Amino acid sequence: MSETLAPRPAPGGNGARRGNAATGSRRTGGAASSACARGATLAAIVASVAIVAIVALAVTMSGAGAADNAAVAEKAKLCVACHGPDGNSTDPAIPTIAGQPKQFITTQLVMFREKNRRNDQMLPFVVNLSNADINDFGTYFAAQPMRVAATALPDDKAAEAKQLVTQYRCNQCHGPDLKGLQHIPRLAGQQPDYLRTQLLGFKAMTRFDMDGNMTSAAQAVNPAHIELIASYLAGLQ
Amino acid sequence: MSLPVKPFLQRLSQPAAAAALTTAIALALPALAQQPAPATPAPATAAPAAPTAAPTPAPAAPPSWMQGRSDSDAASTLHPFAPILTGRPAKELPVDKLKVPPGFKVEVYVEGIPEARSMAMGDKGTLFVSNRNLTNVYAVVDSGGKREIKTVLKGLKSPNGIAFDKGTLYVAERHRISRFDGIEDKLDNAGDGKVVIDNLDPTSQPGHFWKYLAMGPDGKLYFNVGSPGNIVMPSYMQAAIHRVDPKTGVMELYATGVRNSVGFDWHPGTKDLWFTNHARDWVNDDTPHDTLHRASKKGMNFGYPFCHQGDFLDPEFGKGRSCSEFDKPATKLGAHIAPLGMKFYTGKMFPAEYRNNIFIAMHGSWNRSTKQGYNVMVAKVDGKGNVTKLEPFLEGFLENAKGDPPMWGRPVDILQMKDGSLLVSDDYNGVIYRVSYKK
Repeated sequence: MSETLAPRPAPGGNGARRGNAATGSRRTGGAASSACARGATLAAIVASVAIVAIVALAVTMSGAGAADNAAVAEKAKLCVACHGPDGNSTDPAIPTIAGQPKQFITTQLVMFREKNRRNDQMLPFVVNLSNADINDFGTYFAAQPMRVAATALPDDKAAEAKQLVTQYRCNQCHGPDLKGLQHIPRLAGQQPDYLRTQLLGFKAMTRFDMDGNMTSAAQAVNPAHIELIASYLAGLQ
Repeated sequence: MSLPVKPFLQRLSQPAAAAALTTAIALALPALAQQPAPATPAPATAAPAAPTAAPTPAPAAPPSWMQGRSDSDAASTLHPFAPILTGRPAKELPVDKLKVPPGFKVEVYVEGIPEARSMAMGDKGTLFVSNRNLTNVYAVVDSGGKREIKTVLKGLKSPNGIAFDKGTLYVAERHRISRFDGIEDKLDNAGDGKVVIDNLDPTSQPGHFWKYLAMGPDGKLYFNVGSPGNIVMPSYMQAAIHRVDPKTGVMELYATGVRNSVGFDWHPGTKDLWFTNHARDWVNDDTPHDTLHRASKKGMNFGYPFCHQGDFLDPEFGKGRSCSEFDKPATKLGAHIAPLGMKFYTGKMFPAEYRNNIFIAMHGSWNRSTKQGYNVMVAKVDGKGNVTKLEPFLEGFLENAKGDPPMWGRPVDILQMKDGSLLVSDDYNGVIYRVSYKK
């Protein structure tokens, strides 16, 4: 039978919907964790948003219908201000969206928009997105090559981490090379702080989970292993 | 496009570029203001516990689709397929690969209904369409030959079940059934509706919590309450089909031992209830079969969790039981094939051989190494109510039986139009197809 994949209630009612996914424990440490927030990039993001605003105005006024690639790239400037050039994040706490499976990108944007996956930073950017916009973003960022920012672990550490990844069966869903498929994200090359935050959130049952799979899988993970796993995944090509 | 800036831009004239910049800054700032990390304790909702801080929470149960999987299957990569929640434009789909028998034609009827699930037809020609993962009920109205989609109900909890009867739309969410009287006259302002029955999901059950809904010939609403997992002992009201009288709100248990039914209809002659049922997973590729059932009276028990497909004792729950204790299915449909909507054909458009036979939408298998289903089949029923033949009717969604995903579309529900043509919904793409016949 195939009628299975649907939102799963968290134990104790709204638990799974409480999560603040991309903003995890790192934020409580006192240090600004996001390039997105730093003054140096403030001007850049504002400028990007302004450019998008002007492009949006132009598109609206010219009555252009289906967005062509250039227009999508312009729209995507809204995203790259935080997620990095072409969707390759330069901030360890902000996920790289380049090279992610299209369906993963679109599913998450819908879940942010519908306030299932709650995130105060993402919400203002997604709240008015149409499904067509979301599909455009999915197509665009899935097609951008992912550039792995972190360095690979030394061999002995990598071997230890690889054993853990096998033990926790990460590749059972995320694919043999951990590059994701369908609605399941690519882990290889993802930013390490982001990975750690998500895994901790799933383990604490506070990260939104459409089908309960990760909440369940994360329960088996020893917290002492999370740092190593995140560093290993971040350095995988 | 509709970016966050658009509402502001719509009010701006072109010389107001400077104002646009200001607006953009104003818009960006609230987002940024959330970001700097203060040296104060985190808000209660913000952060998961640090590894050393809180005691480990109780372990989460495995997701219901994984429940009952044996150790030998623990490394299996089989998994359910998620719908594309934004829908896909029909022009991106290989619709030309769809096949129907000679004389029939299949075409896209309407697109842009994300996760199109169950369908119901209003008296005035409004097509209502439901969601399962998403939270809406949509209406498709014909305005001057052009089909317009309205979102008529929003923010519902898995409103999979919809039924229309005498001017009223009934909607089954996971926890209640509501009625929307005269809804076709107020599609732009449908209101909150009136509750027919509530508290259908007192435990926020995992597993099969979405409901199918249909109006019976007795004027009562029939709906399923699925099993709370793949293979578990259900409570007194789970793994069953119930009916409720919309006038009184009185609910009755109609059939038990039904793991999960997401489609039913009544035989046009005998008025017997027929329904599809999903059998358990993780036994093997070919066992047990999903099934088609006939419930000729109230009180029948079809075996779950003890006996599946009428003749297969459950490896765990079957101990000390016998399949002879239970009512048999009308026919086996195929293992993991996932039958959903089913309708007896009563129209005049199709050839006479289809009359009073059953069209069944097969959502398609995931828990099987070689995939099957992803089609609409027709079950031929003889005068005595026996199923004599099962054959494919609409095919072509399955592209690669070993692929992941194996398909480009998934049939969900079937609706017979007034002209005798059939509509088939596809929740993977948010598209509805129409099958018609011409001599």
